[in-house]
Amino acid sequence: MKKKYFRHLKRVNPRGIQSTIMFAFSMIAISTMLIVGIAMYIRFSASSRQEIIQSSQKLMEQAGENLEDYLLSMRQISDAVYYNVIKETDISNKDNDIQQGMNLLYEANRDNLRSIALYNNYGSLLAAEPVASQKEDPNVTSQDWYKQARAEMENMHFSTPHIQNLFNDSTFRYYWVISLSRVVELTNNGDSQLGVLLVDMDYSNISRMMKQINTLNNGQYYYLCDSNGQIIYHMRQIQISDGISSENSEVAAKYKDGIYDEVFEGEHRKVIVNTISYTGWKLVGVIPYSTFNLGMVNIRYFIAGLMFFMALMLVIVNRLVSVKISNPILKLNHSVMEYEAGEKPEIYIGGSQEIRHLAQSIQKSYEQIDILMREIILEQTERRKSELDALQSQINPHFLYNALESITWMVEGERNDEAVFMISQLAKLFRISLSKGRTIISVSEELQHAESYMNIQKIRYKNAFSIDFQVDPAICSYCTVKLILQPILENAINYGVNGMDDCAEITVTGRLEEDKIILAVADNGMGMSEEEVSLLLTDSNRVHKHGSGVGLVNVNHRIQIVFGKEYGLIVESEPDQGTTVSVCIPAVPYTEENRKILEKGNMFSREEMIDKKIQGK
Amino acid sequence: MKTGKKVVILLEAVLAVLVLAAVVLMLQGKNGQDMVKVSVIIQNSDDTQWAAFKYGLKMAAEDQGIEVYIANTGETLTVEEEKSLIEWEISNGADAVIVRPVPEEGAEEMLKKFEKRIPVMLVGSTASKDRSLSALPVTESDNYAMGTALAEELLKDYNNSVEGKTIGIVSETGELESVMNREKGFRDRLLNTGIQILWSVTNRSGEPKENLPADQPEVNFVAALDNNSLTAAGEEAAANNLHGAIVYGIGHSTEAVYYLDTGNVKCLVVPDEFNIGYQSLTEISESLRRFFHKVQDKAVSHTVLRRETLFTKENQEIIFTMSQ
Repeated sequence: MKKKYFRHLKRVNPRGIQSTIMFAFSMIAISTMLIVGIAMYIRFSASSRQEIIQSSQKLMEQAGENLEDYLLSMRQISDAVYYNVIKETDISNKDNDIQQGMNLLYEANRDNLRSIALYNNYGSLLAAEPVASQKEDPNVTSQDWYKQARAEMENMHFSTPHIQNLFNDSTFRYYWVISLSRVVELTNNGDSQLGVLLVDMDYSNISRMMKQINTLNNGQYYYLCDSNGQIIYHMRQIQISDGISSENSEVAAKYKDGIYDEVFEGEHRKVIVNTISYTGWKLVGVIPYSTFNLGMVNIRYFIAGLMFFMALMLVIVNRLVSVKISNPILKLNHSVMEYEAGEKPEIYIGGSQEIRHLAQSIQKSYEQIDILMREIILEQTERRKSELDALQSQINPHFLYNALESITWMVEGERNDEAVFMISQLAKLFRISLSKGRTIISVSEELQHAESYMNIQKIRYKNAFSIDFQVDPAICSYCTVKLILQPILENAINYGVNGMDDCAEITVTGRLEEDKIILAVADNGMGMSEEEVSLLLTDSNRVHKHGSGVGLVNVNHRIQIVFGKEYGLIVESEPDQGTTVSVCIPAVPYTEENRKILEKGNMFSREEMIDKKIQGK
Repeated sequence: MKTGKKVVILLEAVLAVLVLAAVVLMLQGKNGQDMVKVSVIIQNSDDTQWAAFKYGLKMAAEDQGIEVYIANTGETLTVEEEKSLIEWEISNGADAVIVRPVPEEGAEEMLKKFEKRIPVMLVGSTASKDRSLSALPVTESDNYAMGTALAEELLKDYNNSVEGKTIGIVSETGELESVMNREKGFRDRLLNTGIQILWSVTNRSGEPKENLPADQPEVNFVAALDNNSLTAAGEEAAANNLHGAIVYGIGHSTEAVYYLDTGNVKCLVVPDEFNIGYQSLTEISESLRRFFHKVQDKAVSHTVLRRETLFTKENQEIIFTMSQ
């Protein structure tokens, strides 16, 4: 399962540097934007919520104050009627003083009042303002406001809204009022008796005040209820009483002033409660949580729009930045690819300092590769040339002619044994020369070849010199380049001992020194000056006076091609003392594997040679 | 490289579309969506009898977030006038209409044509005389049940002993399904009670009253089957023109309540006009909001008011809706 995911991810993973940079930049930018956007939204949403609640609270405080002022003015009217009119007047007075006093107060407050009425202890109307005919039998004593006033005589009582059921109205209108009732002390012919003073407030005033704060069309609303949860004003009052809608007013009525969270009919909402003083009424503000969201919808669109716009701009900027960064790399890559495809372009050098440096390095390394390639080609050419030269030395016609002539003489002089020896040596010489086309042979074979060669030459030169082989048998099983001793021996015969008397000596030695094999050809001939010695291995254009023409330079070259520059020939010579030419090669055990490696031209490093040595042991 | 460019261009295009969408949505939110408009056509639209009905419409409009226009009409309304009014309202952007049908032939056919274009809801009565043949949805009280209830109250007052008593029936029209059913319910309930229905007269509003109850033979009871007839009967009773006849009736105005309150009407059956307005508009709104919702019939209740119980809490609310 996991593997599947990773495989999918790998597929998604962009490959190009430009898309990688852009992808990375975009991811970082989008994540940052998302985090910032969400954080902004949460912060804004919280502060907006807080603001809505605070503004509702302020609005409610204001509305509460207005309501309190209104109710206070009603109480003041009631007080004024009672203390300034009723208490000052005897109801038996025929001068209608009560009526006049009430009239003055009614006229001063008629905008807020529906009526003022005074009833005696039996519910009979004593005075009313505005003057109106009382209904036939309004049954005042059974009305709530009257009963409430009588129940608690020391208090003023505010009723819930109700239809005024006291007077006839010929315009067929029924008034919705809130009654403020209190028990009053009446003076009737000097006697004190109780009565009830009723001040009916016009409900429309309270309704208007509440409507003013209920103008928001976002689900938020305010209602007014009494201390028992009886609704005084609610914008959906009729729907609630019809059961179409409902309100949690009974619970809200029990709340103290403050902000509450509640769930009503599955809806989360904030409820703000403000108590209206004296009446115990509660002004309740309801803010459904959906209101908060409603206000945030535009903010959501705004933040989303802003984020999309930023993403839009970022894609452009990211694209430009990624192009700016990746273009030099892409151009560099393109020029490298062209180079790899075989073309020979200039490596692109541009862009930032690091990329320029990289390009310069690549350019330099390519140039070096070119030089090395040329060197390799040159070496290969020289190698082929050397091998051709070596081949030529194998079949030097002059040498063969001389050898065959010597054999002819031997046969003619009936020296058959010598002729047989000569022929057998010649055969060995050629067998090793050919060596099935190999260029790497064992030291023992090389020595055998040198010995055969010297045996032939000795016969030819009629034993004018002596040859001595002092070879450590331990070196016989190591690798060497084919036919390296023969040119040295040829030189020793031609330049070292030729023309000398019988005392001419050539000594071939072979030994192992650390990890090197030293094969040396020493003669006791006339020797050379230092100058000549120094030219011997460097001047390849020297004209060969004698021999096959395969000079020491060639031998040295061949050794170095196969084993490396640190190997080759060392020439030591003293005039009239003789010359010693030493062959220095690494001690690489002669195995089929090593031979093939060397023939392929791979030069062994020192470590590898040691390894090979260990393997050989 | 080319693919990368294509992807970037595509991404840019998608983001640009998203930015545009967000801006459009934001602007739409600011401008506010156009509100659904519903027109209401009722005869004599300024009459106080429609106060509760209009209040119901207003409350439903606030709850549903739609606009309601009440077409201004006079005391009389013909099918042709109603048709041109509906056309006028539709041309003014009405998304649906609520119509109180006029008691004339051809009303049903005319309204059916409009129903093919926009939702139509009838209120108070079907347009067709035969309720079972009516094809248009209607919101109304059970008229037959109201007629029965009225008769029931009359019988209750006399302990079913109405043998030999006489009664006259007065209504606005004999052409309207609601009145016909009320009368039917009333008559059916009084059947076999021994009461004698002496006369049944109609007086169309806006026209000269030719068949006033006062001009009819003397009876013990007058049953007024609609608001206008009841208030007219109440007025006559208050003027003592009914020779002591006791008035029973169906009505939904403060005048009707007033005559009950003053004892000129003995019993009043009140259809819940608030809910007729509220339910009809809510149902229309529902059909406009939900594509597959077909406008359905809505039945509302009625209440029996008597002088003694007129000012109970529940009844006060009925009067409250009438007083708006």
